[in-house]
Amino acid sequence: MKIVTLKIDDKEIKTEEGTTILEAAKRAGVEIPTLCYLEGLEPYGACRVCSVEIERRGRSRIVAACCYPAEEGLKVVTRSPKIDKIRKTIIELAGVMAGEDVAGETRALASEYHADLSRFRARVSMEPTKCILCGICVRRCIEATWDSAIGFIGRGVNRRVVLYPERAGTCAICNYCQRVCPTGRISSTGPDPPFPHVDDVLSGRK
Amino acid sequence: METVKCISSPEDLEKLRQEIIAKREPSKPSVSVCVSTGCVALGAWRVMEAFKAELDKQGLKDEVEIKETGCLGFCEQGPRVTVYPQEICYLKVKPEDVPEIVSKTILEKQIVERLLYTDRATGGTAQKLEDIPFYKYQLRLLLEDNAKIDPKNIEDYIALGGYCALAKSLFEMTPERVIEEIKKANLRGRGGGGFPTGLKWETTRNALGEPKYVIVNCDQGDPGAFMDRSLMEGNPHSVLEGLIIGGYAIGAHEGFVYVREEYPIAVESISTAIRQAEEYGLLGENIMGSGFNFRVKVHRGAGAFVSGESSALMTAIEGKVGEPRPKYVHTAVKGIWDKPSCLNNDKTWATVPLIILRGGQWFRRIGTEGSSGTMIFSLVGKVNNTGLVEVPMGITLRDLIYKIGGGIRGGKRFKAVQTGGPSGGLIPEEYLDLPVDFDELTKVGSMMGSGGMVVMDEDICMVDTARYFVDFLLEESCGKCIPCREGLRVLSKILNDVCEGKGKDEDVQTTEDIAETMREASLCALGQTAANPVLTSLKYFRDEWEQHIRDKRCSARVCKALINYYIDPEKCQACLFCLRECPVGAVQGGKDQVHWVDQEKCVKCGTCYEVCNFDAVKKLSGEPIPPHPPKGMKPVRKGK
Amino acid sequence: MELECQHCNYKWDYLGDNEYYATCPRCRYKVKIPKDKASVLRRKKLDQELKRRFPMEKRPGKLFGIAGIVNKVMEDYLYDESMLIQILLRLQRNFGWLPREMLSEVSKQLVVPVSQVYQVATFYKAFSIAPRGRHLVRVCMGTSCKVRGAPIVLDNLQRLMNVERGETTPDNRFSLETVNCLGCCALGPMMTVDGEYHGGVKLPNVKNILSKYG
Repeated sequence: MKIVTLKIDDKEIKTEEGTTILEAAKRAGVEIPTLCYLEGLEPYGACRVCSVEIERRGRSRIVAACCYPAEEGLKVVTRSPKIDKIRKTIIELAGVMAGEDVAGETRALASEYHADLSRFRARVSMEPTKCILCGICVRRCIEATWDSAIGFIGRGVNRRVVLYPERAGTCAICNYCQRVCPTGRISSTGPDPPFPHVDDVLSGRK
Repeated sequence: METVKCISSPEDLEKLRQEIIAKREPSKPSVSVCVSTGCVALGAWRVMEAFKAELDKQGLKDEVEIKETGCLGFCEQGPRVTVYPQEICYLKVKPEDVPEIVSKTILEKQIVERLLYTDRATGGTAQKLEDIPFYKYQLRLLLEDNAKIDPKNIEDYIALGGYCALAKSLFEMTPERVIEEIKKANLRGRGGGGFPTGLKWETTRNALGEPKYVIVNCDQGDPGAFMDRSLMEGNPHSVLEGLIIGGYAIGAHEGFVYVREEYPIAVESISTAIRQAEEYGLLGENIMGSGFNFRVKVHRGAGAFVSGESSALMTAIEGKVGEPRPKYVHTAVKGIWDKPSCLNNDKTWATVPLIILRGGQWFRRIGTEGSSGTMIFSLVGKVNNTGLVEVPMGITLRDLIYKIGGGIRGGKRFKAVQTGGPSGGLIPEEYLDLPVDFDELTKVGSMMGSGGMVVMDEDICMVDTARYFVDFLLEESCGKCIPCREGLRVLSKILNDVCEGKGKDEDVQTTEDIAETMREASLCALGQTAANPVLTSLKYFRDEWEQHIRDKRCSARVCKALINYYIDPEKCQACLFCLRECPVGAVQGGKDQVHWVDQEKCVKCGTCYEVCNFDAVKKLSGEPIPPHPPKGMKPVRKGK
Repeated sequence: MELECQHCNYKWDYLGDNEYYATCPRCRYKVKIPKDKASVLRRKKLDQELKRRFPMEKRPGKLFGIAGIVNKVMEDYLYDESMLIQILLRLQRNFGWLPREMLSEVSKQLVVPVSQVYQVATFYKAFSIAPRGRHLVRVCMGTSCKVRGAPIVLDNLQRLMNVERGETTPDNRFSLETVNCLGCCALGPMMTVDGEYHGGVKLPNVKNILSKYG
């Protein structure tokens, strides 16, 4: 495997070609916040909280650190006023669906970046579902059982995570989804997982 | 149908072409009717049936040929009928006109004047297609043949020199030589991104992994643009030929064509084309005896705009949901099933045979320095001549709108032109002299995109337009990433509030914050360019925003919550039309009594404004509404 | 099928039929079966099940009801997973809508996860999980049609039929939907009923157009 050298926050780091910036930074001790990333699962790139600024061949742009592969001579900046503002706005936007009282990773990030989770609540009056659609629970369930018990339906703002009644019997009560939820939405697992039912969501009751 | 000969060498192709040309008599009278979606919507099939019936009646079935052809883009003037050999072009033909056309033009060789194109301004007529001002200034490299071929008959395409480029590439050029020719021509992708096609082909060819794939993207979701539909319906073989040449150059043996489900005629066209090409030995195993194999599969879209994005399209071809994925490793290296895949727009593929036959240098001489060749624009909106315009790159916006488009309809004032679909922005009057190509329009905040051009006049509200685009993208967003999904949700609510008069002062700052986050941090190009319409409307039409937020007024009189309908008592003739048509009974008055609108009941649907023949209904915004006329007031009668 | 245990690196030939895990004979660790190998097992299982239910050598003669409809379409598309969207489009066109039983039947016969079928069926606008009316009315809301007054036509239709967009009339006669660009941008505002195009729609004509469809 070819070894490449890149610079993260002025630190020179050597890593194998093909590892992502996030993994390389973690090994070097640089912390990049994430919401939809879990060690062992394929990176999804949905939350965009891990956005960092890279400079390559004289051009700089903002990319997601969990998906961008390391290259020779890359210069990465993980904290700066511009990146902080972007992360703060993303967390505030996530607050529209997450609501005020979230637990877990989202709360920690909100206090670190001084994000006001109710900034856009005043404009968009909707019942918070406490789910930011990061997809970790779905991907975990697919890893555990190929024909998973939960999944996404819908598109855009109507996207939800639901339980399929045909597969509810395979819920192995493995607690995987509860452990990794970043907002604390999944309060319990067990014979009746607390996900909205497909019928309810499709007919608009939820 | 005669037995089909399988073409097994370039000499066979040439021989077949000579045979087809020999069988045709150029002096034989024939009638060609356009049966693409636009003309069909206006009744082209009924005109076709009328022709068949009339020719039968007159006993001319064997002497006159009827042909179905493709779209030339001037759809508002359809159904279009051309009579050969004089090449007389009749527009807006109805089934009742058919007997006259048969007896006067075909039998007596005379022209039916009222069916010719009539210029709205000067009143002059034009006989041939090339004389119509809409077509005179165009250089129709791709769309020209639509008028001469029946898309369901491959022999028409072969007669015009079709598949000669394929024969030349397979037998006289190596794959590397083909790629070099495309690079020399500086062909850039016509799907909107403008990426150099030769470079993409080379990257795919050099990438590791087998098998490789080539894909045609005909998923044109841009509202207001219909050139992909026109090309795919009228001339599917040109796209197919380009695809096979591309497969040969890249080393791919399987191709996919992704067409929207909303274009049923295009799906039928390309499926028939593939079937016929296979029968003639131009597709499948051992094409023309060269040893090259190539297969094509057709995939239909299912109603998602975001599936037109390249990585989303590849995911949809795999059978999964068409959501975009991060493209930090190019899809040319890792595409369908993580194999190298080259995706191009169907207009790009259709240009490839022209470049192979006439050379890259010829192509480079057309257009500008950075963008060579022609571009098909879809010029729609409030212009006099709407339709597809194919011109060399570098034409100015003013020429497009005034010279070819014929100026603003109804003599109104020009306000803005919206380019590039939902990813582009609004361009005001001061920039009308900008040349249009891939790079120029990005300097003013918009982009050329795939060629959509919507012209707007003073009766269109810019805030309402921004709201329309944000609502469109909100519905079409896939919802995977937070900035795009939530950002569009909040922007939509802000814009709807502003249009209803509930705007707040800090809305402008909030909008700019969210727009910056979306532009930098979104996953795919839909989110990154989603804020362009809003930002350009803020930049160039700030006064309209201020009017909506502070004065609660809409100067274009469009936003429903900010306007009122009022009947002018001086002009009303008490004809009872609007009274009857009003769906909620808000118009008061009676026979011989001036009508007036009860503002409490009015739902602002606009029906009275549409049906009044005397221009008595006015739209007021931001002005105090005059009191209604006294009961029983008689109308002022205009002269008899 | 050959499997390798990632803990003790032991390679053995797996003869069981569990599709997800196998137990390593040496260290008893549970080894996950990779996806491509798993599908071979699943296909084998499906074949065995079919052979058990229909012991004759021929393909099962007739599957009734929804399973039969799905099976006919599957044969046309050769049980290819990548054609899932095309299969659902054909089923939608033949049957009119996609009931829940049909979705689980597609998942069973095509051997794809139920979550993938549901996700596809609810992501795209062409599919309808609820029953549709006899005639489908689609109004184009593209930029060119909007500039020429399509929202007013839509409002009028909504008021005439007394439904919102995306719904069906109570007597099951019409279903109203909006679509983003039909490709006839020069003829706005555009409307199709059952695939028949009606261009240049003006407000007084709307009632006439609808009355032609019973």
